[in-house]
Amino acid sequence: MSRRVLTLFSALVVLALLFSACGGGGAPAAEQPAEATEPPAESAAEAAATPEQVSLGGDCSGVKVRWYIGLGAGGNPEEIEKEKAFVEKFNSAYGDQYCLVMDIVQNATAYDVLKTQIASGDMPDIVGPVGIRGLASFEGAWLDLAPYIEASGYDLSDFNPELIKFYQLGANGEQIGLPFAVYPSALWYNKELFDEAGLAYPPHTWGSDYEGEPWTFDKLAEIAKILTVDENGNDATSPDFNPDKIVQFGYDPQWTDARGQATFFGAGSFVDADGNAVMPDVWRKAFQWNYDAIWKEHFRPNANYVNSDLLAQGNTFGSGRVAMTPIHTWYTCCAEGVKWDVAAIPSYEGKITAKLHADTFGILKGSKNPDAAWGVLSLMLGEFAPDLIDVYGAFPARASLQEASIARLQEKFPDVDWQVFVDALSYPDIPNHESGMPNFLKAQDAIASFGALYTSTPDLDMNAEMDKLVTTLQGIFDEVK
Amino acid sequence: MAEVLTQRDAGPSTPARVAPKSRPGKLSRYQTRWAWFFVSPWLIGFLLFTLIPIVATLGFSFTNYSPVTPEATRFIGVQNYVRMTTDPKVATSLLVTVRYAVLAIPITLGFGLLLAAMVNAKSLKGQSFFRTMFYMPSMIPVVAAGLIWAGVMNTQTGWLNLGLEAIGLPAPDWLNSTFWIYPALVLIGLWGTGNLMLTLLAGMQGVPNELYEAASIDGAGAWVKFRHVTLPMISPVLFYNLTLMIIGAFKYFDMAYVLKNGTGGPADATLFYNLNLYKNAFEYNLMGYASALAWVLFLIVFALAVVLFGTSGRWVYYAGDGKK
Amino acid sequence: MTTTASTQPKLAAAPRPAATMRQHNLMERILVSGLAVVILLIFLMPLGYMFTTGLKSDAQMSDPDAPVWWPFSQEMFTYNGETYPVYKVPTDAGVQRLAAVKKTRVATTFIDPANPAAGEIVWEGNWRTLEPAYFPDAQWHNFVTAWEQLNFPLLFRNTLIIAITGTLGAVISSVFVAYGFARFNFTGKNALFMILIGTIILPVQATLIPTYIVFARIGWTNTFLPLIVPHFFANAYNVFLLRQYFMQIPRELDEAAMIDGANPLQILLRIIVPNSVPALAAVSLFHFFFAWNDFFSPLIYLVSRPELWPLSVGLQKFNALYGREPNMIQAGALITLILPVAVFFLAQRVFMQGIVFSGVEK
Repeated sequence: MSRRVLTLFSALVVLALLFSACGGGGAPAAEQPAEATEPPAESAAEAAATPEQVSLGGDCSGVKVRWYIGLGAGGNPEEIEKEKAFVEKFNSAYGDQYCLVMDIVQNATAYDVLKTQIASGDMPDIVGPVGIRGLASFEGAWLDLAPYIEASGYDLSDFNPELIKFYQLGANGEQIGLPFAVYPSALWYNKELFDEAGLAYPPHTWGSDYEGEPWTFDKLAEIAKILTVDENGNDATSPDFNPDKIVQFGYDPQWTDARGQATFFGAGSFVDADGNAVMPDVWRKAFQWNYDAIWKEHFRPNANYVNSDLLAQGNTFGSGRVAMTPIHTWYTCCAEGVKWDVAAIPSYEGKITAKLHADTFGILKGSKNPDAAWGVLSLMLGEFAPDLIDVYGAFPARASLQEASIARLQEKFPDVDWQVFVDALSYPDIPNHESGMPNFLKAQDAIASFGALYTSTPDLDMNAEMDKLVTTLQGIFDEVK
Repeated sequence: MAEVLTQRDAGPSTPARVAPKSRPGKLSRYQTRWAWFFVSPWLIGFLLFTLIPIVATLGFSFTNYSPVTPEATRFIGVQNYVRMTTDPKVATSLLVTVRYAVLAIPITLGFGLLLAAMVNAKSLKGQSFFRTMFYMPSMIPVVAAGLIWAGVMNTQTGWLNLGLEAIGLPAPDWLNSTFWIYPALVLIGLWGTGNLMLTLLAGMQGVPNELYEAASIDGAGAWVKFRHVTLPMISPVLFYNLTLMIIGAFKYFDMAYVLKNGTGGPADATLFYNLNLYKNAFEYNLMGYASALAWVLFLIVFALAVVLFGTSGRWVYYAGDGKK
Repeated sequence: MTTTASTQPKLAAAPRPAATMRQHNLMERILVSGLAVVILLIFLMPLGYMFTTGLKSDAQMSDPDAPVWWPFSQEMFTYNGETYPVYKVPTDAGVQRLAAVKKTRVATTFIDPANPAAGEIVWEGNWRTLEPAYFPDAQWHNFVTAWEQLNFPLLFRNTLIIAITGTLGAVISSVFVAYGFARFNFTGKNALFMILIGTIILPVQATLIPTYIVFARIGWTNTFLPLIVPHFFANAYNVFLLRQYFMQIPRELDEAAMIDGANPLQILLRIIVPNSVPALAAVSLFHFFFAWNDFFSPLIYLVSRPELWPLSVGLQKFNALYGREPNMIQAGALITLILPVAVFFLAQRVFMQGIVFSGVEK
């Protein structure tokens, strides 16, 4: 009997040795703890078996500054490569002063990991790129940068003053971030699907007509129906169209929540001037339009279609089976294999809104070296801003860098009309679709549930559901009054 | 069976028992000394690693502790516990949890017994193969398993519904229907039931062959043997699994989180108690409140466990129990 | 010879004739095997989806026309430097395999790959009603890509270090503790056992932060220690299972050994352990697989040390926010599955019918 146990254990041990040998001559188990107590900066770089596994970049002797990536962009494999190169470049220039190290955590767990680290007091110094939602999730944990800006005489004249104000998001208006990148949105379209349907491409000039008629969301709905096709080749205008077996869709506002979907119809907020919950009129219509698009007109995929293999489990436009999506510049990551270009967002009730994403970097209050962190951050957003911008395919917030960086994007994606994105900056959503709400995280959660509801449930009384959302939000707002 | 086996007390081991009985005090000291020796690894670990976090959680439950602003923590008395009584999500999530537990535990336990009996049966050709195949799903990491099931249960491209449609059965919207989501989660649970199968199998392996042989001589069929030999003999393992399943049901989290992206949808149908706790702790930064939720969970489950242990004397049979 | 712990159960039924028995056995065999096959097929469905997904390209995943059960690609024909998809087109000359040069909703222009010089053929009708010409085209290189992108040897090494040392610690310590609870009477035993059970009731979501703080304070973060050392102090899951099993072993065996002068430690090693091989194997496998797949703990304790990451954390790379790759996730998961499945296949042999409680040589 015990022979069997022995056989099992010896099999395991043999396997272990086998794999240890494959492990590239790394330290055996017993040595791990000893190795781990060494100062991590240099030893880790040595211990890593391939460049792929290095998170701590370059040789440096300066003050260690930890940079945490994962709350927003930055986790894609090609971004990780660029981020590593960036850290190496930074350290080779300033390694005597600072030692920049980075941790990359995938978005799905990045929030939990960072919260645990902050709670333990053992936390990174710089966090980013991070959007409004990420900043809000860590409300109260950010360092006020204003004193550092003042003390160092940091030059803000290269930024749009509105963008500076945009990041005065602390409880008392503290400056918790500085503008780094903006990601304007436009209407991405799949050229092949338009060709196949024999339709003209949507207009590239903002505010212009489509085939002699105003380029509105109603017009978009019209062509989106022609671009929606079932397995027998019938489009959504045909009486034989089968909505249960659709193989191609006209429109999907991909990867944006309910507020984002509605914001393309007009900027708004669920919070009124008195801090009460409200449903903006234009949003009420926008939600109804989107609901009808899914369940009545069928040119927008419902949740089951979105999550299906057909539409690449959520990357709907990237699957090549969705004709149009309004999305930001960062989406260049994910539309490989699709012949795409961008057009103007249609107008709704005479107004055009191209919602804007903006990313920043913050410093945590609990940072052990806030001065060094500020030193690194000011270089990242200053001297190194062009390099950092290129990592994320973003539009720089610095006016002086915009032209060169757009030229580089044009070079990288020569078939795309980048001027459309530049012009989009004239139609930002004010208030921003990610802007603050009382009890933000809970409110955000309720809005997400509402979004999941109308994309997954047919036969809804949308007006009643929208009223219910306002009531729910009011309850959530009241909790913190 | 219990009576049958305990009759052996008059057997050859009697002399061994006679001797210690004559010096009870010394035996008890001797027993106690060895007992603490054997239990000490756990006790030391408990004091070193487990006790501090448990006590800390209890402490947090009386504060407004937030993981992102730990420096602003202050004592707020029993406010978190009072708040639970008015928070509708608490009742909702408890109901969701109980509904799932009542559905999942009996079905899973029954299915596990079936699997274990099957892969233990001599009449099954290729036992090793079947055991491995039935166990394999429980070795798949939960994130990958969640993606697999989200894919398989998709109404448009999922294999499950394609199969159901092919044989003319209705194809439900497993993951977006407030009704079908529970059968869906139970089904996924059955797929990952390997550990249950294995413990029951180990239990069945512990049934002495002679009992089956004796039963066969008496002409007992498969069912009689299962009912009157196997079941009582594996009751300790059944008890173990039942206890862990109840604890597990109240802590149910992973699959619901992965499948529905932690939203708790559709319409809060997967807002399990522990998911609500997680959302409070890590999404809303209300760690103090989440700690209170955790302690209420603890009290409920601990009470259930105590009751379960209390009843165990009536239906769990230990061949080597000291009780005579 | 061995002593055995059994007596005849009180079952009264007349022995059946041998012929009926044989018939009965055959029936039983068919029934059991049939049921096993049916359940197996249901179990295989998600596994098949997993396997096929791991073998598909992005384009194959979202192809609505291809059979789902295996990766298929449409035949392509290269003509004047462009590639065109091939369809099975019904023509006067029967069904022909033609390459679609230009597709519109009402008519499609084809060329014949067998005779491109013949020029363009216009077919009236909607191309979507045509059957694409498919050929099986599994992307076996997905596994190579996953392997190369992730530095699997290092990930395997780390995972094995964590899993094997943890398993050894967990099993050995739990055997001791379970024996203590199963075989000894002492004051407070029941209360202590309930405390043990109590330690697994609080959800990890609530205890995560304080536990992390403890390990951060003693400087164990960014090492394997928090993932290994605590397991050397037993845990309720293992202890409870082993205790249940130990309590099933007849005491007569202990007592016989005691007469021979064995102390409790010797009894544990000579009687209890050899008689609990299935339970010990189960506990070892549980811990091994648990450690193999454990994700959040290694992530949180090793976040700054990618060179120490186990497989579960490394695989996250395919789950990026805006670049989730379902096929690579499944390919990676399949690679990580191979070793545990092999271990299980070898180990399950210990679950062989017919334990005979043994230990005391006569």
